[in-house]
Amino acid sequence: MNGPILVVDDEPDMCWVMECILRSQGYEVVTVLSGEEACYQLANRDFFFVFMDAKLPDMDGLDVVRHAHATRPGTVRVVLVSGYHYHDDPVIRQAFDQGLICGFLAKPFTHSDLLKALPIN
Amino acid sequence: MLDYDLSPNRFELLYGMLLDAIPSSVLLVDEKLHIVSVNRNFLVKSQRGEARTVGRPLAEVFPTIILENTDIERRIREVFRTGTSVKGQRMTYRAPGVPIRIYYYSILPIPTNQVMLLMEDVTEQVRLSEEVRRVERHLASVVESASDIVLSTDTEGRILTWNSAAEKLSGLSAQEVRGQYFFQFCDSNQQQTVRKVFMLMKSGNESHTTEFPLVTSNGDGILVSWVFSPMKDDYGQTVGAVVVGRDLAERRKLENQLRQSQKLAALGVMAGGIAHEIRNPLAVCYSAAEFLLMDNISVEFRNECSRKIQAGIQKASAIIENLLRFARPSPDTEMVQVDLNTVITETLDLITNQARVQQIRIQLELEMRPVLVLGVSGLLQQVFMNIFLNAINAMPDGGVLTIVEEISEAEVAVRISDTGMGIEESDLDKIFDPFHTTSPIGKGTGLGLSICYSIVQQHLGSIHVQSSPGKGATLTVRLPLL
Repeated sequence: MNGPILVVDDEPDMCWVMECILRSQGYEVVTVLSGEEACYQLANRDFFFVFMDAKLPDMDGLDVVRHAHATRPGTVRVVLVSGYHYHDDPVIRQAFDQGLICGFLAKPFTHSDLLKALPIN
Repeated sequence: MLDYDLSPNRFELLYGMLLDAIPSSVLLVDEKLHIVSVNRNFLVKSQRGEARTVGRPLAEVFPTIILENTDIERRIREVFRTGTSVKGQRMTYRAPGVPIRIYYYSILPIPTNQVMLLMEDVTEQVRLSEEVRRVERHLASVVESASDIVLSTDTEGRILTWNSAAEKLSGLSAQEVRGQYFFQFCDSNQQQTVRKVFMLMKSGNESHTTEFPLVTSNGDGILVSWVFSPMKDDYGQTVGAVVVGRDLAERRKLENQLRQSQKLAALGVMAGGIAHEIRNPLAVCYSAAEFLLMDNISVEFRNECSRKIQAGIQKASAIIENLLRFARPSPDTEMVQVDLNTVITETLDLITNQARVQQIRIQLELEMRPVLVLGVSGLLQQVFMNIFLNAINAMPDGGVLTIVEEISEAEVAVRISDTGMGIEESDLDKIFDPFHTTSPIGKGTGLGLSICYSIVQQHLGSIHVQSSPGKGATLTVRLPLL
């Protein structure tokens, strides 16, 4: 396990939810509310794992991931979290195929759904 | 100039010339019904020579059919007997191979114990008056067949004619209303205005357009769009007025249906943003409820979870309420005082989600104090919703939606700009046309802006567009201030 978990969501309450769940399991969590902040974080430190909201006010979540892959290839494992897409959405399937994301979580989700998305240590 | 020798012989010659110059047929007939003399006109018309005419009996000169139909011999004898003339009788004659001719004839006694038979060819006049009657009948049937109310009045506004459509819509027959003042059948609030319009038409040339209810026979009012036009004679004097009225009920019903279907189409566009926006609070509630089921959590955390659940439900419920308010058919309500700022912000609330999903930033510059206009808030919301959604659709890859309010003396201008693909010049003057769309099939009905246009017009405002390809578009809605 290398570094904390990054939670990206423009809705502060969503960040609160994910932070509570992950902390209760002993993870260290960093939350940010925009694509720009996420890019900055991803460029400047290592994260063990990323929960990325698909739709951010300033950027598309997948674009943030693309950006991270381009700047630091092979370092980020991302689960896309969205209330906008569904799991067999062509956009999501394409993101899987391109290796951009390793999981998809539809809102709303159970706590175990969220934790199951994490890789077993 | 007159250099005639006025001897008796000369007089005879002169009168002979005068008679020949008369464009009517003149015959002198004696008591035995022989022709004593005829003028040139008769000889030309009857295609006879003088030798075969003068001194001959009437029965020989006139065709049998005329003698029989007009009974002219008996009439002449009657004139000889009574000394009273017969005037203005009609005679129709069709010679073989010649079109029908119509004559008016008079039989006049003259002191020489002869009668004068004066025959005037009125074929052309009769044809003309028949033509006039035909045109009149045609005009009457045009007015009668119109589905709009068409009525005419004198200069004072008293009803002269009232067509079938007027009878049908008002339930009042032409007989009932003839001679009555037109304003008596207008909505009581409008009677003064209508009287003023008639006053204006007496001296003016302009038509007057207005909308108000017509009072029907059962006392109800039906909304009619009216056009009052002065009727002028050949000298430009007002001799009356023509009033044309169109029943708006049907049109309003169609407009409402159209607005409703357009609204549902707009809802489809908004659905994506709405899903996203509702699922966020749902996800928060779901998780917070799951936390509450856990053992040994602190009281503070428990309370926080409850608060998050309540806030989330409230948020979702507010979104649904906005949605319902927008989707519900707006009844054709009366115009009331409306704060345009409220209309704009409430409409923006509905599309913020869609804008966020498309990475569109919204820049809002509203007046600090309320901007009051006379209007139907639901309809105005539909106008802004359409314009906002068009702007969002024009920026699939993100951009800025700017909404600026500007107050001038009597009106407010709301400028809505996008940074999207802009509008081709060839499309600019078509964008308010119904069914004009540049969207792919299934994406847009092409009705949105035409509906905006009709709603803004109904609010006595105007709507303009400015754009160049690649540089975005600006729509300006102007409304009169209260």
